[in-house]
Amino acid sequence: MNLQTKRTIIFVLGLAFLASLLLVQWQEVVRREEEAGLTVTPVSVPASSERCYACHKSSSPGIIAHWEGSTHAEKGVGCVECHQADERDADAFLHHGATIATIVTPRDCSRCHVTEAAEFAASHHAKGGNILASLDNFLAETVEGNRVPFNPHSPTPGMDVTEVNGMASAFTGCQQCHGGKVALTDKDGNMINVDDLQPDPETGFPTNSAAVAAIAKDSNGKPILHTGTWPNTGIGRINLDGSLGSCSACHSRHDFSPRRARQPENCGKCHLGPDHPQKEIYEESKHGVAFRDLRDKMNLDSKTWILGEDYAQAPTCATCHMSANSVDRKVTHDPGTRISWTNRPPVSKLMDTDANGKIIDEVDPVLRQEMLEGGISHQQRRANMRNVCMHCHTADYVSGFYKQYDDFVILYNEKFAKPGRAIMTVLQEQSLITHPKQFDEEIEWTWFYLWHHEGRRARHGASMMAPDYAHWHGMYEVAERFYQELIPQAREIANHAAVEGREAEAAAVHQVIDEILARPEHQWIGGGEPPPPK
Amino acid sequence: MMGESSGTQTNEDRRGFLTRLPTLGMAGGLLAGYGSFFGMAASYLYPAGNAKKTWLLATHVDNVTVGNAFAFQSPAGEQVVIARLSSGQKQEDFIALSSICPHLGCRVHWESQNDRFFCPCHNGTFAPDGAPTGGPPKTANQALIRYPLAVRGNLLFIEVELTRLT
Amino acid sequence: MNAVGRWFGERVSISGDVLRELTNEPVPNHLKRWWFCLGGTPAYLFVVQIVTGILLAFYYQASPSTAFESVRYITEEASYGWYFRGIHKWAATLMIAAVILHQMRVYFTAGYRKPRELNWLIGMCLLLATLGLGFTGYCLVFEQLSYWGATVAANICDAVPFVGGFFKQMLLAGDSYNERTLSRFFVLHAAVLPAVMILLLFVHIAFIRLHGVTELRFPDEDQNKPKHFSFFPDHFFTEVIIGLLLMVLLSFLASVVPVGLGPKADPLTTPETIKPEWFFYVMFRWLKLFSGTFAVLSIGFIIFAMYAWPWLDSLIRKITKREECSTWIGIVAVLAIIGLTVWEALAPH
Repeated sequence: MNLQTKRTIIFVLGLAFLASLLLVQWQEVVRREEEAGLTVTPVSVPASSERCYACHKSSSPGIIAHWEGSTHAEKGVGCVECHQADERDADAFLHHGATIATIVTPRDCSRCHVTEAAEFAASHHAKGGNILASLDNFLAETVEGNRVPFNPHSPTPGMDVTEVNGMASAFTGCQQCHGGKVALTDKDGNMINVDDLQPDPETGFPTNSAAVAAIAKDSNGKPILHTGTWPNTGIGRINLDGSLGSCSACHSRHDFSPRRARQPENCGKCHLGPDHPQKEIYEESKHGVAFRDLRDKMNLDSKTWILGEDYAQAPTCATCHMSANSVDRKVTHDPGTRISWTNRPPVSKLMDTDANGKIIDEVDPVLRQEMLEGGISHQQRRANMRNVCMHCHTADYVSGFYKQYDDFVILYNEKFAKPGRAIMTVLQEQSLITHPKQFDEEIEWTWFYLWHHEGRRARHGASMMAPDYAHWHGMYEVAERFYQELIPQAREIANHAAVEGREAEAAAVHQVIDEILARPEHQWIGGGEPPPPK
Repeated sequence: MMGESSGTQTNEDRRGFLTRLPTLGMAGGLLAGYGSFFGMAASYLYPAGNAKKTWLLATHVDNVTVGNAFAFQSPAGEQVVIARLSSGQKQEDFIALSSICPHLGCRVHWESQNDRFFCPCHNGTFAPDGAPTGGPPKTANQALIRYPLAVRGNLLFIEVELTRLT
Repeated sequence: MNAVGRWFGERVSISGDVLRELTNEPVPNHLKRWWFCLGGTPAYLFVVQIVTGILLAFYYQASPSTAFESVRYITEEASYGWYFRGIHKWAATLMIAAVILHQMRVYFTAGYRKPRELNWLIGMCLLLATLGLGFTGYCLVFEQLSYWGATVAANICDAVPFVGGFFKQMLLAGDSYNERTLSRFFVLHAAVLPAVMILLLFVHIAFIRLHGVTELRFPDEDQNKPKHFSFFPDHFFTEVIIGLLLMVLLSFLASVVPVGLGPKADPLTTPETIKPEWFFYVMFRWLKLFSGTFAVLSIGFIIFAMYAWPWLDSLIRKITKREECSTWIGIVAVLAIIGLTVWEALAPH
């Protein structure tokens, strides 16, 4: 091999060396990019919370660990920043030199998160606690439990049970989702809640000093929270300072993870089950299927989580109802701003709200328009949602979907919900049944199943593209309930009344039913064969 | 083995260039490879993210009134005095200064009646913006270290170092 | 250019001719065959190790509380830290392999025979220094295996009669692994052993210049051709080519088979499987085969025999009157080494 050849080989190998270094440099770039998302920002304990940290590191290491993984820790927001309280607060106590409160309310969070708190306060979520006076609550408090404690009827071996807490189902069932009225106890063990404390709407400090004086405290001077109402992270919790809601319902304490709030499982704590299976519906839909498949690519850790920029693989609950997207660049904490129908009541209503956020029930179009002043129309809400849809679907496609959805809801309303409600109304008007919310007659349960379980399943199934929920778990069961139970039971009540001599009342009921069944959509059941499809 | 030249070249210049080409190529190849290697070594030695600075919550804007100051301790143990200069809601309305006197390391404090920072060790004084106005710091023209501030919403953030040598 | 040259010439009184004379040792023709460049390979790799080792030492902190974290910093945070650590590790592997191959080549070509016995001794010292560097380098990472490897090695020392305890104390700076142990390994790895190697290499090469390289003839060579060619630039280019090939290979290995980081040393938990680096497999298997003191003494004896080989070889030749005995012994030894290494590599524990 001569020298020239060697020189050429050296030249080639030098370039090969360079090429291998380019490979190394490329790897370094890739590594840096990968790390950029994973970099753990070093955490520091703010001076204000150093003493909390020192003790709780060993007494409750989990809480400390959760906090250390939080954005709060990165930003120097420690224990005191959230748990600090004013000594005038009803639940404040002195804890190793710091005045703090156990429960952190949206009022506390709003010290920093102003916009988020305001949006949340305007949302239906914040009003979840209103259920406390509704019929569902009657079910848990009375039908399932008892509003007052009662005595056990036989011993529980191994435990000395002297009293049965009749509210247990309401506390554990309803209020862990809907939120309860947080209460302190007085010296006799009675509840002292927001109604007693009458907090100042501005400051949240109680104005009723008598109630404050009655608060029982433990040996450390810490006010005792009523165990029925705390622990509670229901989303509509009614707090001692008068604020509504609980941020930790979605942003689990103490890591306050936006990542978690972005995932459907988070909503699935409450939005599931026979009466509103949104979680199951989502899982059945193509949206949920795509999410399960592509979860790893969803950039869930991203600081911003903008649809169309940070990710576009699949939508989660948050994507459509709350999160930012490339058009609507801000996350909203009021999911209702993108929902155009409310499918919660027996008969679905359009989400036209007045200035106070109340749904307008007015029928007259002119008056409706006037009442909308300062409120939000369902068209506006739908436009907001369309902004989300249009990231992955064409305008025609979205419009087509909304046509299908509207048609479905209207079909349910017109064929079953309004007739069902008319039948229940006439029965009550004729004094043949008690109020439908009393659950002391079979037909009241029937009607409840029809709209509250099956009817909602059907409508939610249609709203979120889950055909099986729309049909088999939905409209099919609605129809069965309507034809096979509601109508026969109503007629039976009427016949029974007729036998008892209440002819006029019975006739009124039969007339309503006959009128309904005479409508073209119900004719198939009266005259044998259903009309052939066109 | 091949001969050093094939003998078919007649143009001396061209031949000279051709014989020099492999030498130049060799030098170039070596330079490219090893040069790049040592370039990477330099990049390796250049400190990568050594001083980890971060923005931390200092306080709520409304918690500090005009003309008043409060002490902030950074995670690295730096003592910072944050004062509000005016009633606005921008970062320019606040100032964050190290409370360590640049003279000999004593702790300065804010004297609101004199509108100055004062170091009790050698009577050093500083203007509200940290500039030395009297005492040994004035002579040596040593100002207080100033930290960056930022206002987001109603919150005041300060940029400080996270770690120090222990 | 000439002015600068003159300036230097007046101060450094070495003329170009002397330089040419010094560098242009005639190189025997057989070195045109690539496998005779195995001696240059570890020398080149040694330079690579010095360069990358210096780079690593910029960030490495030799203390039990910081060592692992500093290696993690190098591997995960510093720009190209993983690459330079990868090069260092792979070059170490290749260097040991090349040293062993070089020694085998010298052995089978009987390059140790008179007058080159002393250079064989120096070569043996270089081999042991290289293995020592491999061992101490591995201890510095302060992984689980670093810690337990060092502990096991110290206890092997302990098994040597009379002086074993002393050596263990010297190695660990105490009865067991303690806070002062790691800095010993660091000083050995980064200062003592490299310095020893540089000195030995200098002597090693000086001896080669003194004796000349053993000249070998191959039957297919033209007898009329010159028997030597010049070191510079011809052989030098060969070495440059080998150097470049090695750099490409090392870069490739460092990026394709990156050097990771095992679990941090934990003095309270011995890992399920402890295996040393591959070049200690032979010894490790040997130690498992025989009980403590015998195993250690026999290893000592084998190393002694390796040192004394040039004289043992001439003794054997005198007794047997045959030339090829050493070849057969060598083949048996190589097969034994390969066998033990493979056995240890395949053994689960």
